[in-house]
Amino acid sequence: MPTEETETQNIEGQTPFTQAPDNPAEDKAEPWGEQTRIVGRRHGRIDGFERVSGGAVYPSDVSLPGLLHAAILGCPYPHARIKGVDASAALKLPGVHAVISSADADANPEWHQGGRIFNDTCRYEGEPVAAVAADNPYIAADALKRILVSYEELPYVSDMESALADGAPKVHPDGNTVKTDSYSRGDLKQGLEQAAVQVSGQYRTASEMQTPLERHGCVARWEGDQLTVWESTQGVYAVQSRIAETLGLPLTRVRVIGHYMGGAFGSKLDAGGYSIIASVLAKRTGRPVKLFVSREQTLLTMGNRPPTRMDIRLAARQDGGLTAIEFTGRGASGAYSAGGASLLDWLAKDLYQCDNVATELEDVYINAGPARPFRAPGYVQCAFAVEQAMDALAEKLNMDPVALRLKNIPKGSPAKDNLPYTTDGLRLCIEQGAQHFGWEAARAEAAKRQDGPIKRGVGMAAANWFVGDGGPPCTVIVRLYADGTANLNMGASDIGTGTRTVMAMVVAEELGLELDAISVENADTGTCQYATPSGGSKTVPTEAPTVRRACLAVKDQLLDMAAKQLGAGRDQVVFAGSEIRTADGFESLKIRDLDRLSNQKVVVGLGERRHNPDDVSITPFAAQFCELEVNTRTGEVKLLRMLGANESGRVINRLTWDNQLIGGVTMGIGFALTEGRVLDGPTGKLCNANWHDYKLPTALDIPPELISDPVMLNDDQANIVGAKGLGEPVTIPTAPAIANAIYHATGVRPMATPINPLDLLPRLNQET
Amino acid sequence: MLPAFAYIRPTRLQDVVARLNQGDAQLHAGGTDLLGCLHDGVFTTDMVISLGALESDLNAIRQTEDGGLELGAMARVARIAEDATIRQRYPALAQAAASVASPQLRNQGTLGGNLCQKPRCWYYRGDFACLRKGGFKCFAVNGENQYHCILGGTDCFIVHPSDIAPALVALDAEIKTASPQGGRRIAASDLHMPPSEDPRRETRLKDGEVIVSIRLPGAMANRYSRYRKVRARQAWDFALAGCALNLDLDGDQVRDCRIALAGAAPVPWRAQAAEQALKGQTLTAATIRNTAQAAMADADPMSQNGYKVALFEGLIAEMLEQAAAT
Repeated sequence: MPTEETETQNIEGQTPFTQAPDNPAEDKAEPWGEQTRIVGRRHGRIDGFERVSGGAVYPSDVSLPGLLHAAILGCPYPHARIKGVDASAALKLPGVHAVISSADADANPEWHQGGRIFNDTCRYEGEPVAAVAADNPYIAADALKRILVSYEELPYVSDMESALADGAPKVHPDGNTVKTDSYSRGDLKQGLEQAAVQVSGQYRTASEMQTPLERHGCVARWEGDQLTVWESTQGVYAVQSRIAETLGLPLTRVRVIGHYMGGAFGSKLDAGGYSIIASVLAKRTGRPVKLFVSREQTLLTMGNRPPTRMDIRLAARQDGGLTAIEFTGRGASGAYSAGGASLLDWLAKDLYQCDNVATELEDVYINAGPARPFRAPGYVQCAFAVEQAMDALAEKLNMDPVALRLKNIPKGSPAKDNLPYTTDGLRLCIEQGAQHFGWEAARAEAAKRQDGPIKRGVGMAAANWFVGDGGPPCTVIVRLYADGTANLNMGASDIGTGTRTVMAMVVAEELGLELDAISVENADTGTCQYATPSGGSKTVPTEAPTVRRACLAVKDQLLDMAAKQLGAGRDQVVFAGSEIRTADGFESLKIRDLDRLSNQKVVVGLGERRHNPDDVSITPFAAQFCELEVNTRTGEVKLLRMLGANESGRVINRLTWDNQLIGGVTMGIGFALTEGRVLDGPTGKLCNANWHDYKLPTALDIPPELISDPVMLNDDQANIVGAKGLGEPVTIPTAPAIANAIYHATGVRPMATPINPLDLLPRLNQET
Repeated sequence: MLPAFAYIRPTRLQDVVARLNQGDAQLHAGGTDLLGCLHDGVFTTDMVISLGALESDLNAIRQTEDGGLELGAMARVARIAEDATIRQRYPALAQAAASVASPQLRNQGTLGGNLCQKPRCWYYRGDFACLRKGGFKCFAVNGENQYHCILGGTDCFIVHPSDIAPALVALDAEIKTASPQGGRRIAASDLHMPPSEDPRRETRLKDGEVIVSIRLPGAMANRYSRYRKVRARQAWDFALAGCALNLDLDGDQVRDCRIALAGAAPVPWRAQAAEQALKGQTLTAATIRNTAQAAMADADPMSQNGYKVALFEGLIAEMLEQAAAT
């Protein structure tokens, strides 16, 4: 596994993706093979009806007797010292039960990076200053207006260049550099000298903001010393431990429930300040408290993909073989250390074979909302630079962009000492995708359509993702009941990806049951087994093998029972669908007819995630292809069709796979074409703090033809289900595939996101 | 959070007008803009007057004596987009209506409401005490002005957000109002208030004055009219640049024309210099280029919106070329 980069902390002080602790034994079991009964099919969500009918209770739906509603007052300035908070007028408002702020020492525990929940110096707009609990949301909103805060405005910096200038205002006393990092292998200088051709460029990506459909928040209730929190989260156990640590409680005193949740993308991997504020207000008032931040506060404070500036140089021999890669990346964490340059150089050093590589990273403080891990952190930004540079290199070499990439496919992970890959997935994605997309014909046809102001272009990009392997810790329990139905108990959250459905399919496959015989309980620290947060594209490769292992443990016990009942040797009985037979085929037993099962009522199977083999790199791969038109008179980009080829091992549910691809490409289109944080120069305040001005893509921004094209293979070296992560690889190549197609159409290379008429049109006019 | 206000539902237009004349009452037609403004604290009100219970029919679309159409102010935007007669005789209006917002908002929003909507400037809508909201300066001048105006800005530099209004200007429509004084007719091109006259009002409607209908003249029916909108996102977005074109064509020759722009100025912007450049001309590459350039001759871009000049030139040229090709 990579080293320094994975230690980059998010705002809450945790690594973005929890890494494996001391590992239990390696994962080995007979693979499922090619012929599966349920796994691999398209299956709708097992909880689809509840989700679309309103029957599913999301945390924001939770209502309890005596519930109070809380709201947070945010600092209106990007940088200010709080001289005083006067809550007396708010407290006099009928229906207001509590107001807390930095003035209440016992309501203001230590929080991330040496700060507290409410800080005397606010370093970004929206940073919490105070919070109220009231009878209803309207009174809470009125109460916020009556809290009188005396601010001393401080000088601020809202972009990386200003932050690093001499004499810049300091976000923190130590200055505005969070950290720097570097990597090298081989000899860069020598690599550059060996090259026949070089390309270089500076690419920038705008900050993409976290704005999931369900806002961030929770409901907190105390019963004596027992705290229960219903939270919209990717990981109930991560929230439990953070709340317990912050409030000084034993883990057993904190129960976190998140049965359903409405989206996250990395911004709900951990507890939020809201989790603590709601718990403190609930304790103070003796009433349950609901606190969901507003949409504006989401955009201001709930995390983002950091803005970046990336300089890249590629060098190659005349045959296309890469001889050197030089990459310098800078990213802005925001007001707290939050991984501004986290993983930013990984694609540069790990996607293609190249002996001579040097990268440098710099993470910068600015007075803006802190970053958070965001669907393939670092990778999405880096792909915009690396894959456009590869496109430029191909042109300079007079090579086809697909051919150039195929020339540089590594056998193992270049940044992990060439640790061998378990598959040739990068090549397979590129070759299969190019074939199914009709790459060569489309490129040739587009080249013919260059007359007139509407230009057609075709482009592609590739990617990998370094943590699609999953790993321990993870515990799962499967219970088989006497009537032949089964219950799956796991801690993992289903963050909208279909985790429950996928895991139920694993149970059904292994136990020979139909899907409607499976129930799933998950995401509740009070009743479910331990799981790390669902993030990093590691839920399927972590949970699915563990679920299968729990099923195998159930089957083991059933075979014991059957052998006894049939008077056969233990090694003489085998599973045959929902029956157990003797090896000679003369006798069989339905599972429901096992006497011992009838008596004991339930068989409990325990699964624990074993560690991955350490002599291979288990990596998912991706390639995307795009055909589009650019109106050179208006700068409009019209996507015509896209195809995403992914190799993530076994396809467990083709429907949720396709959902991931469509969602990932859609998010990538937003990153490429429409989304970007705008901070006002003169005031440092966020201009686009709503869903109109912050432009998420709509259905009309998605190409009418969007094809999910999985590379069908079972990666049996990876784990006992043969599946790897998919959720992030599907979004990494989208922006550069679009940008390369725009270049192909127009000869103008997009150097910054979002690519829109504002940026594109002046350059089209300049260069044509 | 909505502020506290009284909500009344008069059945007679005269009661609407009488109540509207008092205090800071606000009209509620489709509510797609009003409720957002109240939620976001852009302005406040002590009384909201619903138009939903009126006995008089403000939804009707009817033929007029001069061969034109009269459109009720409460007609939904979706209906304007879909009405067969409008699509046939006044395609620019149908196209403008179809380009508004999203299907849900078009089903809810009304024609009159679309003309009276508040600007979408992020300083006006956001946590900034800007001139239009009673503050003392326009934050766009030294700030993030990529979506702001390149024509007609003084003191305040919004762009008017309506797509429908420029189409009505290009079609020489007339606005019919009711008021305590009895109502009047206003040319669509005179409805909106430039900031040079009053940076805190968007229309010239007086206190108590309500739009009841819009009249499209028969003389403008069946002309070559089109509306096209360029936006950063393909649905639920306002115009980076929009153009309503109305040509009286004799073969390739332009006998008469009206051109109005969206996303260019604080009011729907009639491009009179471009009209002068085009009138009497034959549609050729040269006249098309001259017309597009004339439309932008007075453009005075701010620090970040210079792209709009080329964008409008390109958009107008594209539309005129399409006209020539028909």
